[in-house]
Amino acid sequence: MKRFLLMTVSFCVIVVAGFLLLLSRADGHTDAFYLRFTTPRQPHLIVGTSRAGQGLRPAVLREELGIDLFNYGFTLGQSPYGAAYFESIRRKLDPATRNGVFIVTVDPWCLASTRNVGEDTTRFRELSNIVGTTRWVNVSPNLEYLVENLTGRYYTVLERGDGELYLHADGWLEVTVPMDTATVLGRRARRLATYRDDYIPIYIRSEVREMALQRTIQLLKAHGHVYMVRLPVDTAMYALEQAHFPAFDGTMERIARQTDGYWDMSPLNAEFRYNDGNHLNKEAAREVSHRVGQWIHQQEQERR
Amino acid sequence: MLFNSLDFAIFLPIVFLLYWALADRGLRTQNLLLLAASYYFYACWDWRFLFLLLFSTLLDYVSGLRIASARTAWTKRAWFWTSIGVNLGFLGLFKYYDFFIVSFIEMLSVVGIRAHAPTLGIILPVGISFYTFHGLSYVIDVYKDRIRPERGLVDYALFVSFFPLLVAGPIERATHLLPQLKRARTFDPVKAVDGLRQILWGLFKKIVIADQCAKVVDVLFDQYEIHGGASLFLGALFFAFQIYGDFSGYSDIAIGTARLFGVELLRNFAYPYFSRDIAEFWRRWHISLSSWFRDYLYIPLGGSKGTLWSRVRNTFIVFLVSGLWHGANWTFVVWGALNAIYFLPLLLTDRNRTNLDTVAQGRTLPSMRELLAMGGTFGLTLIAWVFFRADNVRHATGYLARMFSNPASYFDHARYAPHLLLLTGIAVLLVAEWRAREQRHALEAFGLRWARPVRWSFYGALAVTVLLFSGGEETFIYFQF
Repeated sequence: MKRFLLMTVSFCVIVVAGFLLLLSRADGHTDAFYLRFTTPRQPHLIVGTSRAGQGLRPAVLREELGIDLFNYGFTLGQSPYGAAYFESIRRKLDPATRNGVFIVTVDPWCLASTRNVGEDTTRFRELSNIVGTTRWVNVSPNLEYLVENLTGRYYTVLERGDGELYLHADGWLEVTVPMDTATVLGRRARRLATYRDDYIPIYIRSEVREMALQRTIQLLKAHGHVYMVRLPVDTAMYALEQAHFPAFDGTMERIARQTDGYWDMSPLNAEFRYNDGNHLNKEAAREVSHRVGQWIHQQEQERR
Repeated sequence: MLFNSLDFAIFLPIVFLLYWALADRGLRTQNLLLLAASYYFYACWDWRFLFLLLFSTLLDYVSGLRIASARTAWTKRAWFWTSIGVNLGFLGLFKYYDFFIVSFIEMLSVVGIRAHAPTLGIILPVGISFYTFHGLSYVIDVYKDRIRPERGLVDYALFVSFFPLLVAGPIERATHLLPQLKRARTFDPVKAVDGLRQILWGLFKKIVIADQCAKVVDVLFDQYEIHGGASLFLGALFFAFQIYGDFSGYSDIAIGTARLFGVELLRNFAYPYFSRDIAEFWRRWHISLSSWFRDYLYIPLGGSKGTLWSRVRNTFIVFLVSGLWHGANWTFVVWGALNAIYFLPLLLTDRNRTNLDTVAQGRTLPSMRELLAMGGTFGLTLIAWVFFRADNVRHATGYLARMFSNPASYFDHARYAPHLLLLTGIAVLLVAEWRAREQRHALEAFGLRWARPVRWSFYGALAVTVLLFSGGEETFIYFQF
């Protein structure tokens, strides 16, 4: 029996080690989120939803600001402002940071809850998603994420994917899709229909999430300067948001007093191209990142 | 919990270690541990149905004792039919009530009568078809004086609920399993290692073959109207290997797991796709179920004795009931009927027992005749599997009609290219099982002559392959039965 146990345990250890070694090959092709949980704690962060995740490019911001920001924006279902995202940001933040730069992106959806959930924080949608369930956010390879949250089979870590999505090491999600007019118009129409027909009827403003946003700002303020940004979106999408969340602008103006600056970029909506009416395409993201970087630089200059 | 889950990977070693650590405390303690582990295993599915399992166990236990001690034939029959009636009643209620109600209403509507009857929408308790048949076989064997009733409640309960076979078989017989549970078991490392090999092979069939086939099958069956003949043929082919990999894989894991505890379960699959005729197929596919129906339904009805009409009738009854056992849908009835139609010519011409040996026994390759026979038998089962998989009879007939349309598409190599990896996996499975067709499982004698490092490297590569193909859990098909 002892020999059997020894041989079996040895075999299992070798197999599991080999398996974990292969899993550690997971990279930016693996999925749209994994790499964000593998970098060390960060001194400078970008937070928000997929509009930030795709719309702000740390490499471009570095050209303007000379610092390495880390994009920690996920999706509307995973990183709306709330206790779960707050905790995840807290774990990602380098507590030794004193002069950090933090870009907090906002839009009405990341401060909204569904009607059936309301302000019941125990039923917030992100609790059962990766931001809510991944405890270890700074380890590479992140076996907790790979074992618990990787969708599909584990062999996908060895695949290079179809090239449509690639997550950079700085957290920026590069999306490469056809940008011909017909295709873009089709995606835009579908996206707008989803928001208009599926989301508008069920999403309502959440004061609990607004408080969570403020709490997040306070957390980040203790480690540096916080800049709030409302990123550009398609004009039709913007019109939907403004009509459904009329109090949003006033709320943001109020909360922005706690930050080191707030830039509502919605007057520039028509200047940029979008993959689907909701997310800046990668070239537009370069330009927006460039402008946000310049704006932050200007804020810093004025502060001095 | 699923066999291919992290929960089971933690559960099994714990139970294994405790079981053998308690060997010095006696058989009863070991059996109690196994029973508790089995109930925990079942409760992980849905603890509410544990009460149903307990009730069914107690009923059959008491019935067995009462039947054996009955002083009059009437009392004996009363207990017998009470057990049969209640067990089949529960099975019928949970599994077939809604099906029969809906079918009855549809039948009435055909003749212009509109009716409405409430359906119950009950969740089907996992494994009910299997543990019910365990209990039925026990009660019938006691009634027929084939075995003495079991007086130990723990031993009997363990016979019904032994966790490796609880939710998807093999369907054990009291004459085979109970004596093992009442004998002291000693740890046999050779059997345990072979059990581990069988588990590994079962996981390969389930995770690498069956689950990958399932992804393609779901798409092709759901959208059959837009696919051509060759693609739909691939869909049927992949389903044949999905259900084989899924079910025989589960059986391998169950049998291998039982061997870790010193228990030998009945063999359930004997390489059925190498069968030369449909009668041989049914001696090799889901052996525990087909032998159950043979012994408890077919033979009591008269079997193959009697008039031509009675032989035809008995054959159809067994196959139709077998089909219905698999699920509450007319597709399973048609599947059973098709198999009866396939089987009857062999039975009526007394050729149903011509291929009792292993194909190409002692040879490396089959003869051309054997190859054609295997191909033909496989083709017949393939057609029947379409009914097994389809949502309804119309779906199945539509699928088959399209599958046989546009025969030119079968020669379009581009149709097969996207599925090359999966086809390769199936080829590997077939080659491995062909080599091992005279053994109990593909890894039983595989590589035993190799040096240990080489052998371990092979097993390790296979295990890592299984792990890489894991993730995104898929249940076993037969759990729904």
